[in-house]
Amino acid sequence: SYVAAMASLSEEVLLVVKKVRQKKQDGTLYLMAERIAWGPEGKDRFTVSHSYSDIRCQKISPDGKAKVQLQLVLHTGESTTFHFANESTSRKDWEAAKELLQQLLPKFKKKANKELEEKNKMLQEDPVLFQLYKDLVVSQVISAEEFWANRLGGINNGESAACENKQEVGISGAFLADIRPQTDGCNGLRYNLTADIIESIFRTYPAVKQKYKENVPHNLTEKEFWTRFFQSHYFHRDRISTGTQDIFSECARQDEKGLKSLVTQGVKNPMVDLLSLEDKTLDEGYGISSALPSTSHASRTVKESSNFAIIKRFNHHSAMVLAAAKQKEQMNSFINIFKLITVYLLRDVPADQASETSSTDGNSRDSDFFQPPLKKVKLQEAIEYEDLQQENRPKTVALNLKKSDRYAHGPVPLQSQQYTTSQDIINSVNYIKHEMSNYKPNLTQVLSSAAASSAIAALSPGGVLMQQVAQQAINQMVPTEIQAELKHLYVAAGELLRHFWTCFPVNTAFLEEKVTKMKSNLERFQITKLRPFQEKIQRQYLSTNLTGHLECMLQAAYSKFHIWQTRRMMRKT
Amino acid sequence: MKLNIDGLLVYFPYDYIYPEQYSYMLELKRTLDAKGHGVLEMPSGTGKTISLLSLIVAYQRAFPLEVTKLIYCSRTVPEIEKVVEELRKLMEFYAKETEEVNNFLALALSSRKNLCIHPEVSSLRFGKEVDGKCHSLTASYVRAQRHGNPNQPVCRFYEEFDAVGRQVPLPAGVYNLDDLKDLGRRKGWCPYYLARYSILHANIVVYSYHYLLDPKIADLVSKELAKKSVVVFDEAHNIDNVCIDSMSVNITRRTLDRCQNNVDTLQNTIQRIKETDAAKLREEYRRLVEGLKEANVARETDVYLANPVLPDEILKEAVPGSIRTAEHFVGFLRRFLEYLKSRLRVQHVVQESAPQFLKDIFDKVCIDRKPLRFCAERLQSLLRTLEITDISDFSAVTLISNFATLVSTYSQGFTIIIEPFEDRTPTIANPVLHFSCMDPSIAIKPVFQRFQSVIITSGTLSPVDIYPRILDFRPVTMASFTMTLARTCLCPLIVGRGNDQVALSSKFETREDFAVIRNYGNLLLEMSAVVPDGIVAFFTSYVYMENIVASWYEQGILENIQRNKLIFIETQDAAETSMALEKYQEACENGRGAILLSVARGKVSEGIDFVHHFGRAVIMFGVPYVYTQSRILKARLEYLRDQFQIRENDFLTFDAMRHAAQCVGRAIRGKTDYGLMIFADKRYARADKRGKLPRWIQEHINDGSLNLTVDEAVQLSKHFLRQMAQPFSQVDQLGLSLLTLEQLESPEMLKKIAQIAHQT
Repeated sequence: SYVAAMASLSEEVLLVVKKVRQKKQDGTLYLMAERIAWGPEGKDRFTVSHSYSDIRCQKISPDGKAKVQLQLVLHTGESTTFHFANESTSRKDWEAAKELLQQLLPKFKKKANKELEEKNKMLQEDPVLFQLYKDLVVSQVISAEEFWANRLGGINNGESAACENKQEVGISGAFLADIRPQTDGCNGLRYNLTADIIESIFRTYPAVKQKYKENVPHNLTEKEFWTRFFQSHYFHRDRISTGTQDIFSECARQDEKGLKSLVTQGVKNPMVDLLSLEDKTLDEGYGISSALPSTSHASRTVKESSNFAIIKRFNHHSAMVLAAAKQKEQMNSFINIFKLITVYLLRDVPADQASETSSTDGNSRDSDFFQPPLKKVKLQEAIEYEDLQQENRPKTVALNLKKSDRYAHGPVPLQSQQYTTSQDIINSVNYIKHEMSNYKPNLTQVLSSAAASSAIAALSPGGVLMQQVAQQAINQMVPTEIQAELKHLYVAAGELLRHFWTCFPVNTAFLEEKVTKMKSNLERFQITKLRPFQEKIQRQYLSTNLTGHLECMLQAAYSKFHIWQTRRMMRKT
Repeated sequence: MKLNIDGLLVYFPYDYIYPEQYSYMLELKRTLDAKGHGVLEMPSGTGKTISLLSLIVAYQRAFPLEVTKLIYCSRTVPEIEKVVEELRKLMEFYAKETEEVNNFLALALSSRKNLCIHPEVSSLRFGKEVDGKCHSLTASYVRAQRHGNPNQPVCRFYEEFDAVGRQVPLPAGVYNLDDLKDLGRRKGWCPYYLARYSILHANIVVYSYHYLLDPKIADLVSKELAKKSVVVFDEAHNIDNVCIDSMSVNITRRTLDRCQNNVDTLQNTIQRIKETDAAKLREEYRRLVEGLKEANVARETDVYLANPVLPDEILKEAVPGSIRTAEHFVGFLRRFLEYLKSRLRVQHVVQESAPQFLKDIFDKVCIDRKPLRFCAERLQSLLRTLEITDISDFSAVTLISNFATLVSTYSQGFTIIIEPFEDRTPTIANPVLHFSCMDPSIAIKPVFQRFQSVIITSGTLSPVDIYPRILDFRPVTMASFTMTLARTCLCPLIVGRGNDQVALSSKFETREDFAVIRNYGNLLLEMSAVVPDGIVAFFTSYVYMENIVASWYEQGILENIQRNKLIFIETQDAAETSMALEKYQEACENGRGAILLSVARGKVSEGIDFVHHFGRAVIMFGVPYVYTQSRILKARLEYLRDQFQIRENDFLTFDAMRHAAQCVGRAIRGKTDYGLMIFADKRYARADKRGKLPRWIQEHINDGSLNLTVDEAVQLSKHFLRQMAQPFSQVDQLGLSLLTLEQLESPEMLKKIAQIAHQT
């Protein structure tokens, strides 16, 4: 039923390859927008279906091998092999599938990060959890994030904060250098290109990415594209563009344009603006003409212009590498600048004066408005002598070195014999002591066993809080499948209730929000899960009393919520 | 704190003081007392500016009749603004301590480009365009035309200033460039003319060198400044070159072509006016006959550039008859132009003196010396009479007439060199006539004569005694101050050999030597792995840098460096370099680290500081000798030898070393800063080179670091950087390189301080 459901969704089919064998069975391979699937011949269902995000990589049979195969390795470690069996077009089919996968997989790769793998593993190892996941997340009672919120906490405790605000990884300045060509022994060059390097190239040189999008795979294969890239003058920075039909000559032009626009934008920091450094407005005819060579292109020798090109490219490359790492920061820095300006305005310009400033000028040029604050800050920085003033900055922790010698010289390599000095022993004892003194049991997460069992007792049918429902021996009353279903419902309800009750006492805005959400989750659970089940048992003429305890538990939660809410309303009014 | 400097109460706006600041103020006070000139060298980052300002302001307050004004000259716009901000700090301190309203007026003055608030004019990109456009809106005859024609555009800011701006003097306070603009916007006054007017009664004026050293500008702006002023030239290590620049002219074929157009336009305009308003020309002629130096009363807005020669050289006679009528003068200009054209048609280099040139021009086209001397004045008068609005279009003919006046006024200290082509490209004809001043003392002489005290100061002025010789003046004090340090925060290393023992040098013979280039690359590579954040490397010239970079690229060295740091390179395009600089700082700031490859004598080496992490190491590849094949330089060296008995080699070495010192000094901008200074050339080890470095650098070069290999230098650097990375707090400095008032007043300390100044 699962496969049928998946197939019924309208999906875009990107590629259909017939006569593909899987486990010695003929069939058809479908590449769709989000998954790859295979169905045996003559049947309209898929026996193999992998979402792209589940695929770790594809492995291909080497050129020239008789069997043309493609293997998909999943994150779970399983693999599926497809054999392209069409005699005449097998190689072509295989190429097409491979190319398409090559483009599709990286898109999904980001999703399949470590965390995802971890989740997958947990679900596979714990069938109860998996069932719970299906009950709650797949049926959209709660979102996946909510579901994982405090499950994953156990795995990477403490790291979660760091994960949330994950730092973008920059690009190595020398990524092009890592592609060092190697001679392959038969008069050719081999370039080693990895997905990371391609990613770096694309991020640093958007023009190349553009070209790639335009040409691959319609005009060029992946391989051809990169071969041309390495042959182009574009890659070899000292070669001058000869204006050939090279697809990368346009990239060079675009870079040039980009560089120019960067240059004409000017610099934000007035202290490094060489153009407005000098306070002299005379013609070039005055003064000693410096001994600099003229910069006109006409008088350049070939070598000079090649040198010139290298320098330009290095500046451009470095700027692009910097920019690539910065894209995400930009928003933040903009906000910071904005704050700075606000502070400046508040501090320095009385309101009436500010309005006057803008009105007399009439034209509110942005540059004029935005420039002074930064300039002022930079000027103040430049004239500051921190040591001449009383110290009043926040104290930082100083590095306390017992043996600064050792720090200055670095560790000395140990000789071959191994021995333990008394100093070592003392050190390790000290280390353990230090560890112990810093040990902090996580008390807030622990419930005493007595309290836990009394809580369970109170909530069990017949307990203090659950007096309306009586205990029933379920195993003789209902068929096993209903039992199983009921069990799932209990687990799911228990999970939701656990989320709900952990919100109390509600003392932060976050918890407030969560408790409200959890309440609606409970309601949704009741409607989408519990009700259908009740109707089902009704249809089978079984005692509706089966779910009494569940309802009771939900009611307890609702009334708690109600009390909390009314109290909150009262406090507000 | 309040200091007692030799009996003078000095307010110093900080809680602590460096010992050398005290010593510096002491010397400065002696100079002012003696009403003489001084040369003072003090390392950058030791608070030179605030010391100067504190003492001179205190002096002005104590002896208001002795010193009426402080004229503070600096080189770049950011430096000017920095000075004003420091002054503001001082004034705020005065206000706080004395609790009385200060009546000091201090302001910065800069070119129109930096002060204009007219929406259209200020949006122009080049200073020249701003000047020209401003002139076309504010010239007196333009404004006069507005009476007849209300549609004639004028500048409302100037009009408003002219109407009411002069009635009440600018209220006391400190006005930076942006403050002036703000004020201008609020009042609707032109900030530029407001500032120019206000400097006459200001107590402190901060502006660029040119306003005092370039007669074309000085005569307009600084003519009426009081004689009882103290003039300070800060960052003055290159002052001789500024002086020479202000008196030199270059003429190319393009100049002459544009000049030809100018003369044609003048002719046509005269023709037109003759038909419509001949009276105007007759009036001009009449006034010239009467011997009035200027045919019209020139308003402040009318004069674009003043006479290029110094005030005492300007003839106080009537304009000679041969160029009195407008047509005759244009004819005269035509003849002069034709003559210059013929001079540029040369096949070989010509070098001659001004008298030789005058003789030749008389022989060939019968132009006398006297009308030539009046050329600049006469042209100004004509441009005013013709009511030319777009004065910047006439820059070519102005240049030619300025040249005429200069060449006929000075018979000594100048040389004329006509080169048919550039040395590097002998096949491409590109004739240039250089009229170069060789004697920096000419331009600065009136300053020394006119003002009672002139202070020449910088972080690098070594050897101090050469400046009085080349500028031809007698200082009453000459001193070089060291930097007192609680920890040795600078580490000068002389790398003379590669790891393969190849001698490292940028000297001409080994310039193309691959072994040297490779070793230089290796040095940079190794350093890039060791030094945190920013490294700045300087080369001796653009060409040298371009070649080395290309070679490093081919050898794969740059790629390896890129693994450690990003690379940015200075180019000859200022805008591009600014961008590279900003990105460089960004890369240092975000922790990635970067290398800036730059050029000694370039814009970066002269104007940009690399404080703290922006420059943890400076590498000077080679000794930055000036391009010695230049004929202008050769002529100048000859002149120095004959006139001042300065040997060629001494001057060249002095010049190279001051630029090297400038480059490496960029990295240390204070006592809390630290940095490596790597001199990568074995010649630095020689006493004649090393001895010309500033004392504050020299004293940290020990004999062990004179001829290091790359590896040795790397080891020393590692050690140095690790030590510097230790926490360094104010307490560590106190009593040694940082003093409280109490500590300062102790007798031992005063004795110690007396040794800081190294008198020459």
